Amino acid sequence: MELHVSNAPQIYAKDSTRTLMYDVILALLLPSFAGIWFFGLRAALVLVIAIAAAVLSEYGYQKILHKPVTINDLSAVVTGLLLGLNLPVSAPWWLPVIGSVFAIVLIKQLFGGLGDNFLNPALSARAVLLASWPTLMTNFTRPGPSLDAVSSATVLSGYPSIPLQMFIGNIPGTIGEVSKAAILLGFLYLLLRGVISWRIPVVFVGAYALLALMLGNDVLTGVLSGGLLFGAVFMAPDYTTSPMTAKGQYIFAAACGLIVALIRNFGAYPEGVTYAILLLNIVTPLIDRSVKNKVYGKGKQ
Amino acid sequence: MPQYSIRGGVHPLDDLHSGKKATNGSPIQAFIPETVQIPMSLFLGKPSVPCVKAGDHVDLGQVIGEADGFMSLPTHASVSGEVLSVEPQMLMAAAPVVTVTIKNDFKDTWVRRKPLGQSVDGVDPAAIIPAIQAAGICGAGGATFPTHVKLTIPEGKTCDSIIVNGAECETHVTADHRTMVEQPARVVEGLRLAMRALGVQHGIIGIEDNKKDAIAAMQEAIRGQEGLHVMPLFTKYPQGGEKQLIYAITGYEVPSKGLPIDIGVVVLNVGTTVAIAEAVLEGTPFISRVTTVTGCVQTPKNLRVRIGASIAEAIAACGGYGEQPGKVIMGGCMTGFCVPHDGMPIMKGNNAIVALTQKESKAYEETNCIRCGRCVQVCPVGLNPYKLKYICDRGDLKAAEENDVMECVVCGCCSYICPARRQLTSSFKITKDAIMLEARRAK
Amino acid sequence: MSKKQSLSGVFFNGILVENPTFRLVLGTCPTIAVTTSALNGIGMGLAATFVLVGSNVVISLLRNFIPDKVRIPAFVVVICTFVTLIQMLMQAYVPSLYASLGLFIPLIVVNCIILARAEAYASKNGVAASAVDGLGMGIGFTLAITVIGAIRELFGSGTLFGFNLLGAGYQPMLILILAPGGFIIYGLTLGVMNIIMNRAEANKSAKEGVEA
Repeated sequence: MELHVSNAPQIYAKDSTRTLMYDVILALLLPSFAGIWFFGLRAALVLVIAIAAAVLSEYGYQKILHKPVTINDLSAVVTGLLLGLNLPVSAPWWLPVIGSVFAIVLIKQLFGGLGDNFLNPALSARAVLLASWPTLMTNFTRPGPSLDAVSSATVLSGYPSIPLQMFIGNIPGTIGEVSKAAILLGFLYLLLRGVISWRIPVVFVGAYALLALMLGNDVLTGVLSGGLLFGAVFMAPDYTTSPMTAKGQYIFAAACGLIVALIRNFGAYPEGVTYAILLLNIVTPLIDRSVKNKVYGKGKQ
Repeated sequence: MPQYSIRGGVHPLDDLHSGKKATNGSPIQAFIPETVQIPMSLFLGKPSVPCVKAGDHVDLGQVIGEADGFMSLPTHASVSGEVLSVEPQMLMAAAPVVTVTIKNDFKDTWVRRKPLGQSVDGVDPAAIIPAIQAAGICGAGGATFPTHVKLTIPEGKTCDSIIVNGAECETHVTADHRTMVEQPARVVEGLRLAMRALGVQHGIIGIEDNKKDAIAAMQEAIRGQEGLHVMPLFTKYPQGGEKQLIYAITGYEVPSKGLPIDIGVVVLNVGTTVAIAEAVLEGTPFISRVTTVTGCVQTPKNLRVRIGASIAEAIAACGGYGEQPGKVIMGGCMTGFCVPHDGMPIMKGNNAIVALTQKESKAYEETNCIRCGRCVQVCPVGLNPYKLKYICDRGDLKAAEENDVMECVVCGCCSYICPARRQLTSSFKITKDAIMLEARRAK
Repeated sequence: MSKKQSLSGVFFNGILVENPTFRLVLGTCPTIAVTTSALNGIGMGLAATFVLVGSNVVISLLRNFIPDKVRIPAFVVVICTFVTLIQMLMQAYVPSLYASLGLFIPLIVVNCIILARAEAYASKNGVAASAVDGLGMGIGFTLAITVIGAIRELFGSGTLFGFNLLGAGYQPMLILILAPGGFIIYGLTLGVMNIIMNRAEANKSAKEGVEA
């Protein structure tokens, strides 16, 4: 009788890379549908273009370089969707395309593919688009499915703040960030499925709120406006670019929150979530190096 | 301070062939094989020296291999009958081992030693440890370390409590569980004999709280006996690991490179305590043990197996395979190892035989690490498995040692939880073996 | 130099095999700073070439007179002379280019390429070889930063040498003419050059293998 022989353990947990990505996509569908509801079908178009460009560029890159094609792990879909949700609904078609290609090829694949990127691909693509086409990236429209949408300021740059409207998402902003209710539902889903822990999102927002309070800001408006919640739930806890240990995650998240508060109060930009997270992405290897768990049986008893 | 749980750890899926539920209600049944193959190295230490030859008739419990010094144990015949052969055979070890094959005549003609007494209190403490060695007792939990060596306290150390390991955190295994339910008095007697031999006042029986009936049975058995406690623990794998159990029960950590005795503790497996009680109070040597036979077999059972019976015979006693097996595992699914064929004998440390179907034996391909950090969260030791694997895979033994690979308890939690299916544990095991080999060569 | 090279070999060595920007990765600071347009690239490259040739010739002439212990200060004095010359010439005849390159003209003094060639080549070789080496290295540098500058200008402002190539509808990708864009394009061109050179070397060794 032929028996297989393999090293222990012989059984594995149900979660695989693919199922984790699938769960993230399901969670992201909530803010996606909220965005489509508030901004109309054009929002769906932006998201689809971003996803298609991300998947195709991953496929193309791996084909050209004769590497195994890994689009089945769904990570490119997540990157594309995240990027699309970070664009304003008025974005021209080529904006998500350039962003996705940049995220997948330059940030993810050139550094070794899934798990080896040192920056969050979607977020760094957003930063590049923001630096390249600042007017297109901040051309926010008031929600409404009308074709001739009116440009508007965001809450952080002058739109009137009405907490309830901000919570359900009836405010100008990028497709994914406006509906805090949908983001929180997505967070709840990810928590229940055990995909992410509560640490980074909660400490991130908590640290921001604390500093904003000390600086005398309107904390509720601050938390409900801009990309803070979206970044804290879907961007900062990205596995690859956040620390591994619980202690490291506290440091990471607290520093993110502090930097957001500082940029919003003293920086030239009205919004600082993108740059705060990217900065801490770069610091993550250092945090992982210096913050270690205590090893059993070593150190004081 | 008791912690009642461990750091890290996982809750392994227990739905494969119903997991522990398949056997946790089935009473232990005796199982007597037609032939036994008894290797002379059933335990960790110097192998026994065979003292029978082909054609000899042996009685049940007769010594067939003599102990070779203090770090060794005698080996006993587990059936009565004719010795078919005494020759080296390739079993689980890397090198051939002298193995005695005996054909059972089913007469079970016993040779027992004289019992040291009828009850624990009547036994001479000084005679207990020699009797344990003479009975060939080693740890029944898997490591098979000779028990008399464990109970011989080194100069300058003191032992203040003995812990009985009833955690049984491995998947599928219910051998200790059933033993505690059916023979709680024997477990307590074994524990008290060990305490008496060492003059220790505290005995603690740690049991995970998924075994309510075992906790109740043990609490009943210790009632009115001073110095004994039953401690229920939160269920979590790998709580049955010696170091993890000590942390859960006492809150102390065994120092790096040290032994439990360094913090005044000795840990015995449930099966070991029963073997001690039987050896001292009945004069019966360690010739049989309780093994859970489960997985894709017709009727999963707990069998009291004679040492040296083949896996195939034990599975036949459970009605045979339910379907074509893909893997047969000695031990539970987290730490057990696969046998190359099912003619292998069951040995003293074998608490379970789990047969998996072809489908369940599917091998996974390693994919990129996504740095999810789950391995770091579940490691009961506090290592950084994701990083350690890169070091181990490039063969850098020195860096691996600096990153504490030697502290790894090879529990398998990191490999189990890894969504990229990276073979973390096996990397560490290979590296640990290589480092130990290097150290031995350097001597 | 263990092997005696022909003058044309020395010249092409600087342009391809030991291209200062792509192969030696020297002078990265001006490479990233001034390549916001193709014209800036050419201007900077030619200025550096002038200094390279001049300083290589003078240092080669003086190589037997400069005491070893003070050779670096001596080299720097020679280089400074030529940098001052080119700076004044540019200020007089191409004031707009001079203004756009700004501080980076005087900073040619500390450009690694120039000091490296003085130290590694001119101080050990004859005048003619040193002059050709300076010319080759300078042209290699010029070509490299012009290519980088052209790519950055084309996509970052939609023009090439000031001519609008991509049409009025093109929305320039601003980041490419900012510092991050410099790093990104430099890295990518460096990678492409590595691929080309590795392929060429593989071909060459394959051919040699057949001949042997």
